[in-house]
Amino acid sequence: MSYLQLNGVEKYYGDFHAIKGIDLSINKGEFIVFVGPSGCGKSTLLRMIAGLEDIDAGELVLEGKTITDTAPSKRDLAMVFQSYALYPHMTVEENMSFALRIQKQDPSIIAEKVQRAAAKLNLTEHLLRTPKELSGGQRQRVAIGRAIVRSPKVFLFDEPLSNLDAALRGQTRVEIAHLHRELDATSIYVTHDQVEAMTLADRVVVLQAGVIEQVGTPMELYDTPANKFVAQFIGMPQMNILPFDGAMEAPADAAEIGIRPEHLSITDAQTSAWRGEVEMVESLGNETLIHINLDNATLSRIIVRQYQRTDAKPGAVVGVNLHTGKAHFFSEQGHALR
Amino acid sequence: MGARKKNLSLSLIVRTLTAWTVALLLLFPLIFMLITAFKTELQAIAVPSVWAFEPTLENFAAVNERSDYATFAWNSVVTSVLSTLIGMAIAAPAAYSMAFSPTPRTNGLLLWMLSTKFMPAVGALLPIYVIFQQLGMLDTTAALTIIFTLMNLPIMVWMLFTYFKDIPHEILEAARMDGASVWDEFRFVLLPLGMGGLASTGLLCLVLAWNEAFWALNLTAADAGTLATMIVSYSSPEGLFWAKLSAASLMAIAPIVVIGWFSQKQLVQGLTFGAVK
Repeated sequence: MSYLQLNGVEKYYGDFHAIKGIDLSINKGEFIVFVGPSGCGKSTLLRMIAGLEDIDAGELVLEGKTITDTAPSKRDLAMVFQSYALYPHMTVEENMSFALRIQKQDPSIIAEKVQRAAAKLNLTEHLLRTPKELSGGQRQRVAIGRAIVRSPKVFLFDEPLSNLDAALRGQTRVEIAHLHRELDATSIYVTHDQVEAMTLADRVVVLQAGVIEQVGTPMELYDTPANKFVAQFIGMPQMNILPFDGAMEAPADAAEIGIRPEHLSITDAQTSAWRGEVEMVESLGNETLIHINLDNATLSRIIVRQYQRTDAKPGAVVGVNLHTGKAHFFSEQGHALR
Repeated sequence: MGARKKNLSLSLIVRTLTAWTVALLLLFPLIFMLITAFKTELQAIAVPSVWAFEPTLENFAAVNERSDYATFAWNSVVTSVLSTLIGMAIAAPAAYSMAFSPTPRTNGLLLWMLSTKFMPAVGALLPIYVIFQQLGMLDTTAALTIIFTLMNLPIMVWMLFTYFKDIPHEILEAARMDGASVWDEFRFVLLPLGMGGLASTGLLCLVLAWNEAFWALNLTAADAGTLATMIVSYSSPEGLFWAKLSAASLMAIAPIVVIGWFSQKQLVQGLTFGAVK
């Protein structure tokens, strides 16, 4: 039986149907990431689980108990906010112990729990400071510490890394993954960053316009996207999508063909399947991205990724070959065909 | 270089003189009242004014003896403090809900509340007088407290709303996620964070209620009169008693001036709310 269950959950803002019937079941100990473009409803859905937004239809079940209308303070979930939302008038220690003090736990137990969390998060020497005396990364760790001292049933993360700079983001991402494993916690994490989604998640939920497009492990989403939206959303640079010209064996009804940049390679222009002119070369050191304008019927623009460096210069005519068995086919409506 | 320095100091002198002149002009009536309070009645009506005289406290003694200053002062304290406390108890939850759970109609509601302050008070005098008369509440501090509360409520809600809106919504949500009840949220988060706003709102309303004269004059007489009504009693029927009138006025404004002096910072913050951020 699932730990947290969403059954046909819906949300309206006036006439705007923000969440259109979400069914999802989350297992104990799982790390679930909600990902999607801005405005897709991922934060709204998280806030509905938290209880900070009302659920207009459907139900939410935690450990077999319906909590659809339970107040957020009674759900025993912890949330880490994008803005940290620390209590500015309290010290780090008071911030982290607030929930336990509200529960009127024994002060010695509170002190011990706070010490343990602070040690885990490298905050021990900052316990007596107030949030404004801390750096962004330290504030974020206090926000995480505030969640973990409570040992809640589920951790909710609302884009927790988006206020950090790139280096710190990578580091904190690793720390969150580490903490999740160490605490054996159940976590739901919202992000628009697919790198965070791919690296942290046991399962990723891809949302668009209030609807789940696909749920699966990061590799399932990458290898077998359910539709064109997921195919293009996951993977950087995006999957190349071209109109299907019938030149190879494909499922019936195939309207478009999708190929990831690393499943293409540059060859001799004479013997290749496609030919085109190099428009731009992005050399990143470990990989090279070659933008090519194909001279096929639709003059499609594609990107080829290769791990060797290249001599190709803009304007050069090259051939492009497709790795066998790596193409994705999509119907007129954008559904994946296999 | 030298010339520039000279210019600067010249402009400083001009500015300082101008500022002092304006300040003295504005304060002149008050200063004149302050001086008059220590004159005898004869000196007070002398033309031209007497500036060299031996100060006397007889006016203060006379005012205290004749009109029972303590009763008026007590009525002022009771009505202004109680109306402020009751007003805060109503306005704080109202402002909280409007700031943190706004609906599409919240702005309209706020404007409507403010618009009630545009109506001249005298327009509501008759119905309110009749209501209190029918309830047998004329000349009671309870009636004045109710009126003062209602009078200041729109300002209180507006000011607190503005202060609360500056507190990030997510901090309250974090408290909710941490298991705080509405009361915990108020006590441990909103109250400490909004203390400055609550204090300046309270102080401003205290001053407004203390200074209120229109309703105090029309709804009270001897029993529940405030200091504002005491002052007026020196101006009309028994002729002009300039020195005693000055002494009475001074005694009426002294307490609130002292409070105002010590809470200047909060008061200014309160009066310029929304303007400086």
